[in-house]
Amino acid sequence: MTWYRPSLTRREILGKCLGWLAILSSFRVLGGGEATAQQRETQHRRPTPPNEIGPFYKKSAPKTAMLRSAGDPGMPLVVRGQVFNTRGDALPNAVIEVWQADHLGQYDLDGYRYRAQLPLDPAGAYQFDSVIPGHHPDRVCQRIHYLVLAPGYKPLITQLYFATDPVFEGDPDHNFGRDPLLHNSRELVRPVVLAGDPHDMQALVHFDLVLELL
Amino acid sequence: MRWMRFFCALVLVEAALGQSLKPEKTITVPPDAIVRFTAVSPKGDWIAGACQDGRVRLWSFPSGELRQSFDLQDQRVSSLRFSGDETLLAVGGDRGGVRIWNIPSGKLKLQLKGGESVVALAISPDKTLLAIARKDVPAQLWDLTSERVITELPAKFAGSLALDFSPDGQWLACADADTDIRIYESRTGALRATTSALLLETFAIAFAADSKSLYAGGADKTVSVIDVAGGNVVRKFPRQPDAVSEFRRSPDGKILLVLYFDETGTAKPAPVVAWNVAEESVEVQVSKPDVTPNGGGFSGNGRAIFTSSAGAKLQVWSLPNRGK
Repeated sequence: MTWYRPSLTRREILGKCLGWLAILSSFRVLGGGEATAQQRETQHRRPTPPNEIGPFYKKSAPKTAMLRSAGDPGMPLVVRGQVFNTRGDALPNAVIEVWQADHLGQYDLDGYRYRAQLPLDPAGAYQFDSVIPGHHPDRVCQRIHYLVLAPGYKPLITQLYFATDPVFEGDPDHNFGRDPLLHNSRELVRPVVLAGDPHDMQALVHFDLVLELL
Repeated sequence: MRWMRFFCALVLVEAALGQSLKPEKTITVPPDAIVRFTAVSPKGDWIAGACQDGRVRLWSFPSGELRQSFDLQDQRVSSLRFSGDETLLAVGGDRGGVRIWNIPSGKLKLQLKGGESVVALAISPDKTLLAIARKDVPAQLWDLTSERVITELPAKFAGSLALDFSPDGQWLACADADTDIRIYESRTGALRATTSALLLETFAIAFAADSKSLYAGGADKTVSVIDVAGGNVVRKFPRQPDAVSEFRRSPDGKILLVLYFDETGTAKPAPVVAWNVAEESVEVQVSKPDVTPNGGGFSGNGRAIFTSSAGAKLQVWSLPNRGK
C-alpha cells in the first residue's frame, strides 16, 4: 500500500490519485471489503487491540452512517469494515458506536456531530461517511473512537488511526510509537486510499473489528 | 428569585475577576520536578504534589515546608488521595502500582503491584477500605486490613473515572466511563443505585456532607446533584463554559469547590469556582488568563485554595471571600 506523505505538494498528491483510482476500481469490482471478508471468513483472526476510551464518549448517539453534513470542511472520509469473532465468524448483531473530533480536532460535547451508532448489514459489515479528524491538542494523533458490543463477547473499545497522519511522517511502521497510546498496536494505524477526481477527493479506510469471547 | 440569585452571583464573579489575585504561597521545586498536579488534604494541612521527576512531594500548609518525598519506583504518578483524617496518603501509578504511606511519618502502610494505570483512589472514612479505579478495567474494592480484593465493580464497559466514599462510610460511588454513576454499599460492594441520566463522562464526584446526595460533574460542564437512595438527578447547577475536572467539599459542607478545564486543551487556563450548594449560586469565581489550576481544596481556616505550576514554582492561591 502506498502512503500519502504529507510533505508532498498538492500537485503531486493529485497526480498520485490517478494511480490510486485504478486501485480503487479493482477494490470496487471486488465488492469492497465484503468479498475479501467472505474469503477470510473461515480464518482465525487476532482480536483487535483495545485502545483507551478517552474523555469524550457520549451515549445515545443517533443511528446513522452519515456523520458529515454537506459543506463540512475537511477531507471527506469513508470507513468500511466488518465485525468478526476470533474464529472468523461475522457478527451481524454487534453494535458499533463511533465518535471523533471535527477537522480542527474539537469534539462536540453539546450535540452529536461526528457521533453515531452504525447500522450493520447481515454480514456484519459497516460503512460510514465522515471527515478526517483533526489533532486534539491533548493527543498526538488523529483518531476515530470505536465502542463495539456484541452479546457473549468482550466489549471492544479501540481507536482507528490514519497512516497519513503527519505525525508518522509517511512511515507509520517506524513512527507509530510517537503516540504513546499506540505502543503495541501498530495494526490500529490503517492505510488511507485517496479516491475520486481531483475536485472531489475522498479518503477510504478499511478497518475490521475482531471481538473475543467472554 | 432564581434570576436574582444569578444576578448576585454575576456581581460576585465580576468582583472576583477584577481583583489582582496574588499567590498566597509560592513553593520552589527543583527544575526537573515541576508539579504536574496536587492533592490538598481535607483539613488543609498538607499539599501533595505529583512531580515531573516521578516523586510525590508532601508540603505542610501554610508553611510550605517540605516534609516528605515518596516515589513509586519507576512509575509515573497518576493519582493522589488523602484519607479523610489526613493520616494516610494513597498514590497510584501509570503501571498499576499503589502505595499508601502514613502521614507525616512517611512509613509505608501498603504496597500493591501491577495492573492497569491507576485513574482514581479513595479511602473509606474508617480507613479499612480502599477503592481503586484503573484505566479501562473494572474498579476494585479492597479490604485494607486483609489486603485482599472484596469485589470488582464493573461498568457496562471500560472502567471508572472517579471514586468517593460517603462521609458516613456507608456508600461508595463510582463515576464510570459508560457515563453511568453507580452507588455501592461500601462494605460488600453490592450495587445500591445506578444513575443513567448523564450522557457524557463524569470526571469528578463528591458526596454531600450528609451522605444523602452526591455531586457529579464532567464533560457536560455542569454539577448534577444525585439522590443517593434512588440514584436520580434531582437538580443541576447552572452550566459553565468549561468541563469539570475536580471537586472539593468544604468542611462544613456549604461550599463546593469546582476546578474546571478547557476541553479543547487541558493546558489552557480555566476557572475555579466556589459554589454555594444550597443556593446553587457562585460564591466566587477566579479565572486568570495565565493560570491553569492543577489541584484545590480548603485551608485550615476554611478558605478555598487552589494550586498551579509556574515553571519550577508551585503557587497556592486563596479565593477571595464573598463580600470582601
